[in-house]
Amino acid sequence: MKVFPEDLLYSREHVWVRVDGDMATLGITDYAQESLGEILSVEFPEIDTYVERDEAFGSIESTKAVVDLIASVSGTIVGVNEDINDDIGIVNSDPHDTGWLVVIEMDDMEQLDDLLDAAGYHDYILRQEAD
Amino acid sequence: MAIDEAIFRETLKHQKPPTLRFFGWHPAAVSVGYFQDVPKEIHVGRCRSAGVDMVRRMTGGKAVYHQDEITYSLSAGPWERRFPDGILRTYEIISSCLARGLSELGIHAMLAEKSALARKKERAPCCFSEPAGKELTVDGRKICGSAQVRSHGGFLQHGSLLMTFDPAATAALIQSPAPPEQLRNRAVGVNELVETPVSAEELCEALRRGFCDALGVDFCEGELTPEEKAMSDRLVKKYESDAWNRERKKEDGPAV
Repeated sequence: MKVFPEDLLYSREHVWVRVDGDMATLGITDYAQESLGEILSVEFPEIDTYVERDEAFGSIESTKAVVDLIASVSGTIVGVNEDINDDIGIVNSDPHDTGWLVVIEMDDMEQLDDLLDAAGYHDYILRQEAD
Repeated sequence: MAIDEAIFRETLKHQKPPTLRFFGWHPAAVSVGYFQDVPKEIHVGRCRSAGVDMVRRMTGGKAVYHQDEITYSLSAGPWERRFPDGILRTYEIISSCLARGLSELGIHAMLAEKSALARKKERAPCCFSEPAGKELTVDGRKICGSAQVRSHGGFLQHGSLLMTFDPAATAALIQSPAPPEQLRNRAVGVNELVETPVSAEELCEALRRGFCDALGVDFCEGELTPEEKAMSDRLVKKYESDAWNRERKKEDGPAV
């Protein structure tokens, strides 16, 4: 079974969040990248775009599907991972670190309370797979 | 495409049961996957001069020439437990439904166990040039190409079942590293496998029964709801626009 870093929070949409002050870095989880298979493209939002929690902020394409990237928190996009444009493979090979996707300047930190910790996310996946 | 997007959005919004749709294309058309680079991957000028439409799907995957074929679409929300979370598992279940339907016509289609896709630098823009994992093949030739979009845990899957395969037209309209004579060995149509040709209606009916039997459900035939109709009417503008079809720009579509 996969190990999910303890210092991250996780959404039920398989997006992780690293919090630093009011900045949230988002990426897809190792479980998500494995489910997607080989990732071919990522569609990023424009810098300064405002995104609402639970709304799509971009999309990701693997060999057979396009999957919406769902924002775990509301706020303004202040950074996107340009390195992915040079090497898309890092989203598959290092999803929890160098394969990060965007940075959001949050405007409602209380939304973080609805996210799961590593153990909670692990249990969530187990329940999903049991269904 | 506008109808399928409207059904998918309304399914997610109102927690509706799954919708299965079969349709054909008139005039013939090339549909391209969400992320495809149209100028590089499609012979746009040839499509135009041949009177072939071109439209971008919201599903992924590669380009399909829709001429003598049946397209299916299936939308379902995350609460629909017959279709578990996960791209390949959904493919597997839908492919098994299609295989069951094809078996009624005496066609024994198999699920491709592993993707035959080449590394991405070599990957062809044409859907029917290579089978992917969990797609249907007959004697190694692809009979159905499918693609998905997933959002909020739900999915829309499109697929094209060939009645006959026209490798020359496919190669003329979609950039392909393989010449028509090689493409001919990579895909096959239903009416190339049966003794007595079947009509599109007969194929749809066999497929419907395949879904019912494999899933243990019955489908109620229906019309678009007023909300689906209104949304699809608004989305038509998007799917008619060059901004969407050529450049994947979304501003012409409604907020969804």
